[in-house]
Amino acid sequence: MGYTHHVLDREGVNMTYVVQSDSLSKRYGDVLAVDDLSFNIEAGTITGFLGPNGAGKSTTLRMLLGLARPTSGHATIFGQPYDHLETPALRVGAVLEATDFHPGRSGQDHLRMLSRAVGLPDARVDEVLSIVELEGAAKRRVKGYSLGMRQRLGLAAALLGNPDLLVLDEPANGLDPEGVRWLRDFLRDFASGGRTVLISSHVLAEVAQTVDRVLIINHGKLVTESTLDGLTARVSGVVRVRSPEIDRLDEALVREGFVTTRSNDHALVVQGATRERVGDVAFSSGVPLHELVTEGSSLEEIFLELTSGSAS
Amino acid sequence: MINQLRAELLKIRSTRTTIGLLLGLVALALLFTILTSTLSPETQLLTAQDQLSLLSFGSIAGVFAALAGIMLFTSEYRFGTIRPTFLFNPSRNRLMVTKLVAGALSGLVFGVIGEGLVFSIGVTFLKIRGISFVMTGANVTQLLVGAVVGTALWGVIGVAIGAIFSNQVGAVISLLAWGFVVENLVFGFLPKIGRFLPVHAADAMMGRIEPRLLAGDVGSVVVVAWCAALAGVGVALLTRRDVN
Repeated sequence: MGYTHHVLDREGVNMTYVVQSDSLSKRYGDVLAVDDLSFNIEAGTITGFLGPNGAGKSTTLRMLLGLARPTSGHATIFGQPYDHLETPALRVGAVLEATDFHPGRSGQDHLRMLSRAVGLPDARVDEVLSIVELEGAAKRRVKGYSLGMRQRLGLAAALLGNPDLLVLDEPANGLDPEGVRWLRDFLRDFASGGRTVLISSHVLAEVAQTVDRVLIINHGKLVTESTLDGLTARVSGVVRVRSPEIDRLDEALVREGFVTTRSNDHALVVQGATRERVGDVAFSSGVPLHELVTEGSSLEEIFLELTSGSAS
Repeated sequence: MINQLRAELLKIRSTRTTIGLLLGLVALALLFTILTSTLSPETQLLTAQDQLSLLSFGSIAGVFAALAGIMLFTSEYRFGTIRPTFLFNPSRNRLMVTKLVAGALSGLVFGVIGEGLVFSIGVTFLKIRGISFVMTGANVTQLLVGAVVGTALWGVIGVAIGAIFSNQVGAVISLLAWGFVVENLVFGFLPKIGRFLPVHAADAMMGRIEPRLLAGDVGSVVVVAWCAALAGVGVALLTRRDVN
């Protein structure tokens, strides 16, 4: 057991990494689903694990949680492989699919069969049902649940052991906007006490308001590891500007090294600039402006740019 | 382990599948026993051997116990609950042992209900028809214990088959094809081999229903050996198989 350095001590001593992935790879036949993936997740953070469908997110999460064996490399949670942890459900809560229920079993019985397996009292089931606001549906069979209710029941199961780490695979799938907001508030609240969340999604916008950090993977490889602020800083985009003295402004911008083009409606489109920079150039050239807006390159477009094509 | 067993027993109780299987067993046991004990000519119900044949029908509970055992794994794979189950029980060896015990306990219930019904109804109808009950106490004990314990062991075999196949349809079809076709063919043509196969070895536990069967104690050992072998294959596959 050589992975016990960087262990998150429950008392908060020597707090470093909650999750460590070290050169994790998974091969299915000819397909390399996860390719030499290394990353660390710090305690107290909400990390978005992002990538398009088929990027290897779910496979990675399954390897972290001991459901799939890595072809090579290893993953640890709280310094140990998941299945070496003493009663891991009391430290890690995970939801991998929104549909992991027997349709003929009640939500309450689903939670009870899990809580009993780790020696938790039935009263804990009632507590988590209350946290996810499903008390009223507890005795109903799951086949009568909406997708949003199933998502919340899955979350309730993950919360049974009052874990320090939550791992959620695409939890916003199928949720209505109200459900997404509920989930966001819930995760913020969960992490505010120093606990850690790892949340996967194929849509950055779904988690952008929730996460502190992003891990972006594509074709099983790490593309970007950054804080959300770091990613936002990459949003350079295009500035669209109108002026009655468009030619003078164009010359001034080109002198400053910007690449410009004229749009069909006689506006000037400045590549790789910020509004502030274009405004400064116009001011110093004495050119009046009638319009100055940032266009294009949103956070989502940066994400798409990072995850399109090969991740070499 | 006790906690995990409580969880597994709740899984069995908390869906309608088990109730459905129990109702199926009760219906079949009632139908067969009432029809056979009322419609068979008296001459076919007079000897201890005849009466053993009639009253051993309770062993059909083994099929239902095996189906219930199969569901303990295949239902989890089918509905995806295998993921939370593994997350809460990461030791797959321990989970296998727990499910084997749960399968045996549910099999025990199937056995008591199945053989209990067949025996009590069969004996009652014999009495109503004025046919003397000639089985010895020892034979009755072997019949009842053999049927109930044999059914419990079928619960174990079912769990092992479920772990081996993981796919519900494949496991159920394999069980039924084996039990109702393959074994009967092998026993019919090669009884010296067929009597060592699980269905016929389990039948032997209830007494010499058929003269070519093994002795009861040998039959018990053979069934237990089948349980161990199948469970061994099941746990080997379970620990190697990824969950997607």
